[in-house]
Amino acid sequence: MKFTNRRRLTLSAAVLASAAMLSACAGGGSVAPAAQETKSGPVTIDVWGWNAETGKQIVDAFNAAQSDVKVNYVLQASNTATQTNFRNAMEAKSDVPCLVQGFAPLTTMVVNGWAQDITDAVKPTEDTYNDGAKAAAKVNDRYYGLPSGADGQFMIINKDTYDKFGVKVPTTWQEFVEAGKTFKAHGVDVTNLAGEDPSTLMNLAQQGGAEWFAIDGDKWKVNFTDKATLAAADIIQQLIDNDLVSNQTYKDRPALYAYFDSGKMASTTTQWWSLTGYKTNFPATSGHWEAVEIPQFSADKKATPGRSTPSFVPVGCENPEAVVKYADWLATPEGIQAGKNPKTGSVGLPSSLKDPSPYVKDIVPKGFFVDDTKAAEVMVEAQTATVGKFELGPNYDAWFPELQDQWGKAVAGQIKLSEALKNVQKFVASDLEKKGISFTAAS
Amino acid sequence: MTAMTETAAKPGRSPRGSKTPRGNSGATDGPALRPRAGWRVKQDLKGASLSLPFLIGFGVFTLVPIAMALKESVFATKTSGLGFGKATSTFVGFENFAEALADTSFWAGMLRVFIYAIVVVPLGQLLSLAMALVLDGVRRRVAARFRIVLLLPYMVPGLVATMIWIYLYSPVVGPLGDFFQLFGLDVNFFSGNTVWSSIGNLAIWGGIGFNMLIMYGSLQSIPHEIFEAARIDGASELRIALDIKVPFLRGSLVLTSLLAIIGTLQIFSEPLLFRAVTPETITKDFTPAMMIFNQAFQVGNVNYATALSIVLGVVVGIVSAIIYRFTNRIES
Repeated sequence: MKFTNRRRLTLSAAVLASAAMLSACAGGGSVAPAAQETKSGPVTIDVWGWNAETGKQIVDAFNAAQSDVKVNYVLQASNTATQTNFRNAMEAKSDVPCLVQGFAPLTTMVVNGWAQDITDAVKPTEDTYNDGAKAAAKVNDRYYGLPSGADGQFMIINKDTYDKFGVKVPTTWQEFVEAGKTFKAHGVDVTNLAGEDPSTLMNLAQQGGAEWFAIDGDKWKVNFTDKATLAAADIIQQLIDNDLVSNQTYKDRPALYAYFDSGKMASTTTQWWSLTGYKTNFPATSGHWEAVEIPQFSADKKATPGRSTPSFVPVGCENPEAVVKYADWLATPEGIQAGKNPKTGSVGLPSSLKDPSPYVKDIVPKGFFVDDTKAAEVMVEAQTATVGKFELGPNYDAWFPELQDQWGKAVAGQIKLSEALKNVQKFVASDLEKKGISFTAAS
Repeated sequence: MTAMTETAAKPGRSPRGSKTPRGNSGATDGPALRPRAGWRVKQDLKGASLSLPFLIGFGVFTLVPIAMALKESVFATKTSGLGFGKATSTFVGFENFAEALADTSFWAGMLRVFIYAIVVVPLGQLLSLAMALVLDGVRRRVAARFRIVLLLPYMVPGLVATMIWIYLYSPVVGPLGDFFQLFGLDVNFFSGNTVWSSIGNLAIWGGIGFNMLIMYGSLQSIPHEIFEAARIDGASELRIALDIKVPFLRGSLVLTSLLAIIGTLQIFSEPLLFRAVTPETITKDFTPAMMIFNQAFQVGNVNYATALSIVLGVVVGIVSAIIYRFTNRIES
């Protein structure tokens, strides 16, 4: 074939354009266990996390408190940076840490071959932790993660708004819908449902006892349309159909805070670590909020939604016992105090403990609630009733964006939520099929 | 080429004088050619060595990844049971490509970006051209100041630019909503109907300075005598711009258009960030690049993502080639 200059140029342009596309998307390979060096003397373990504020000081306190295990805290820039660096370490099979702060659901870590079974190491001291924390650390009834407390959800209400329109604080989700109808008549939204964030649906489903994924022998049982999920979907559908909610995005944070602080939104579900941000960004309404228990599906059955991403011991680490020793120390009064923030003087809520009440007063921001004592009680109550476990299956990373798509359409009123859930289940089935994973899907 | 022809035509003459590089050993014309040929090879090698850094970079960062991509695209990775075991890769031939060609989500995304490109690229080019012509018409000192200012948006990384515009568009805290309210217009930049315009405006804002600079550079190289002659003949400034300057810019217009089309077909970061504000419109596979990202890093199907990348690369290549040929034909 004879190439003229023009043809060469045309071809070069095409090749270069194609090349630019392709060079971004090649790679792959599998992760294999990496050998861990064994040394005499104290066992040294690397711990990866992105706790820039207190990560190092906690480790220093632990190293000073005993001499069997020496922890080296490797500070990561962020959750995303941890994922990238960890993936690289596993690919390179070198410098694999012994403990990694959970950056994705635990089952994802197991499916990727990253988390090792540490049941034997965790079992002897598991009673230190509450049931929710223990459940969250298990996959297929084996510990692949360290017991990790889920942050129990509660609700904060703008008391002025509730009082102004004479609305009783809802204790069930149906009452919540009714409260929304009253607020609507006055141009107030009962809550906000961000179009990109389906966590409200996941939380309500978990609270109602839904099981989107369960292990049955050597197969997954997939069911996005069980009774509990449809009950949760029904409540949210009523909120959407009656136009009782706003759809402010989290991406436009200043707008979101301005709206929360405007008195135009009566209530929102939340967890303890959001409170400091609210206090800082709600200048107009700080001091007018009240913490109340999250509404239930029925008055006689109490459960609090809350999920966690447990820390895990990577495949290749030869000292899981040393890791557990460190983790158990973190749950002692000494370990909890070591995490005191030097700026605020407060410690985080030890949500994995059976009784976190001694620490809860520390996390109530001053001047935000009408009644600080009641807020602390509500938070402890939320913590003790936390479900903890909500199995997200072997392909969470694949189906969550699909759930986001479907949720966005449902919140915008383009489709019904029940239809959205069916679509997600269909997507999950197709993805599992492609991946060769065995499953049965509910019809 | 000229030097080679010259020396070949006069074999007895050394480039540096009457002696050959190895001394005056050549008794006849024939043997004297050999040392000169060696010298030329050396010179050629020296010249070629200047392109070595590029070739190494092109090889390592482009050709090798393409080879790896081609390899990945003909395999499929699967696990079994609960999915906890090690995944195995099997050769599937062109199965991934067949799936890609029949993937309606992928081609719907492709159609979306095509329609978007048809609107945004010419609009951006027209604005860049207008700005370049205006800059060319003012004094150099004034032009220098505006050149830098107009190039600033191009210097802002795409993600940062998108974040800035999301704040500007914000119906609650952004100033643009209030601005349009002054004229009685209630514009929501985040709604499903306007999001393409919002993204397009951002893309034009980001790219206009670069295109303008390329065109302005070409305008500066046009001999000014032509303008003088046209003015003497009574041509207006508009006529000079349209009939002299624009035809001279054809090369720059082709280059910037090609780059704009390639960039637009691969649009990724803008819709990715806008997804949060209109999730009902911008889905995870809204554009081909978003779908490839989703398949590779969320679904975890690198094999299929690579096949999609190759298909997109080929489409971009074909479109570029067609436009290149088309514009060349017009020129000739």
